[in-house]
Amino acid sequence: MIDDDVLVCRCEEVTAKEIREAIKLGADSLTAIKRMTRAGMGLCQGRTCQRLVAQILSQETGKRMDEILPDSTRPPVRPVTFGEMCGENDD
Amino acid sequence: MIETADAVVIGGGVIGASILYYLAKSNVNACLVERGDIASGTSGRCDGNVMASDSTPGYDSDMAKLGAELFPGLANELDYDVHWSNRGSLIVFENEEEAKVGKEHARKLKERGVPVRLFDQKEVHEDEPYLAPDIVGGMETACDGALDPISLTIGLVMGAKKLGATVCKYTKVTGIDRNGKAGFVVRTDKNDIATPVVINAAGVWTADIGNMVGLDIPIRPRQGQILVAEQTFRVARRKIMEFGYLMAKYSSTAKRNVTPDMEKYGVALVYEPTHVNNFLLGSSRQFVGFDVRSNYRIMRAIAQRGIRFFPVMKDINIIRSYAGVRPFCVDHLPIVSDTQIPGFYIASGHEGNGIGLSLVTGTLISQMICGEKLIIDPTPLSFFRFENQIANVSL
Repeated sequence: MIDDDVLVCRCEEVTAKEIREAIKLGADSLTAIKRMTRAGMGLCQGRTCQRLVAQILSQETGKRMDEILPDSTRPPVRPVTFGEMCGENDD
Repeated sequence: MIETADAVVIGGGVIGASILYYLAKSNVNACLVERGDIASGTSGRCDGNVMASDSTPGYDSDMAKLGAELFPGLANELDYDVHWSNRGSLIVFENEEEAKVGKEHARKLKERGVPVRLFDQKEVHEDEPYLAPDIVGGMETACDGALDPISLTIGLVMGAKKLGATVCKYTKVTGIDRNGKAGFVVRTDKNDIATPVVINAAGVWTADIGNMVGLDIPIRPRQGQILVAEQTFRVARRKIMEFGYLMAKYSSTAKRNVTPDMEKYGVALVYEPTHVNNFLLGSSRQFVGFDVRSNYRIMRAIAQRGIRFFPVMKDINIIRSYAGVRPFCVDHLPIVSDTQIPGFYIASGHEGNGIGLSLVTGTLISQMICGEKLIIDPTPLSFFRFENQIANVSL
């Protein structure tokens, strides 16, 4: 059991308690928890915290870990600067 | 099993959420039906614009200004933080030609009571020091604001539930039967609901719901893409938009000095600082059905456009991109209206203005249903403007 005051999402500073509260208010997926708490919205895009959030969701709702779908992933896979994103014009 | 409700709202985006909230406030026993989760469609893939400055002076700007004025009160009313901030906005002019047209736009907005102020080159850089030095001026609009659209949608739904509204998530509408004089039976993949009033707030899926009752509603998805920056220093303290974004409305000859990709995908600078000290950068427009995948060429064009106006962005990280589809209405105005079918209402087609117009839309629909005095004349938003588009309605 993860203590309530543990910072689960370090990028957005979200505690286990805040995640449990979101679940109580009806968040029933990793994406729904993200929408309510911002857990997974930060610099690492959930790479560090997603599994921990899934564990809490599993404990609180009785869902099996394999029933909990991963949150959507989007480019860029790793952070890139706006400058790098521009690259050279290949038109 | 058949349940009953005084009104069924179809769609759990910001428009449906707002309608549900205002109906609940008026003591209407309303039920919201959403096929996925709350804010899982367009309202979870947009930005948090509440702007009068980018609207056409006239009815458009009247409605946008009224829409913005409702937010401070709502933010106080809800128990849920929607992160409303009223820092105003700045629309910047890239060259003298834009400045000339921009001044005219500002004059017309001012005539409609929108609190705008023009900046010359010196003033615009005092206002936002990181702007590229060659930007020649801008227009500040004090009544504009921003908020977190996901929090707004969730907050409205929770507020409505507290007032007694019912919410059915993961419930898909499969058909709507007209039930004689009593109204409708809304069929879903769970329960059926008998109701005298149905509100179609299904956003990009509005036409599908319309088809269920024989209405042909001219709304289709238009995609827009956004880049998310890392948390960093304040590149700019409030909403910044390029005037080129509006130029097409005012001048058919005006051409921006942009790349072919920017032209093709309608890429224009829209910068939005968020309440967590990062920023969102848009924008683009394209018709690709319901496709919400990120397109690398658009990501690149948005980044290039960002650096053109804020060279300092060059070294800031992009952590995510996302795309959403917006409910585009054929004549660029939303539909907030009753229809040829008694008891069937439409509230959709806001495209990129759905967040800013959410509260005025919810208020209007609730007032129409309750027979109360209307907050603004809804005639320009009437569905009856498409009269020739109605197919096989049996009245």
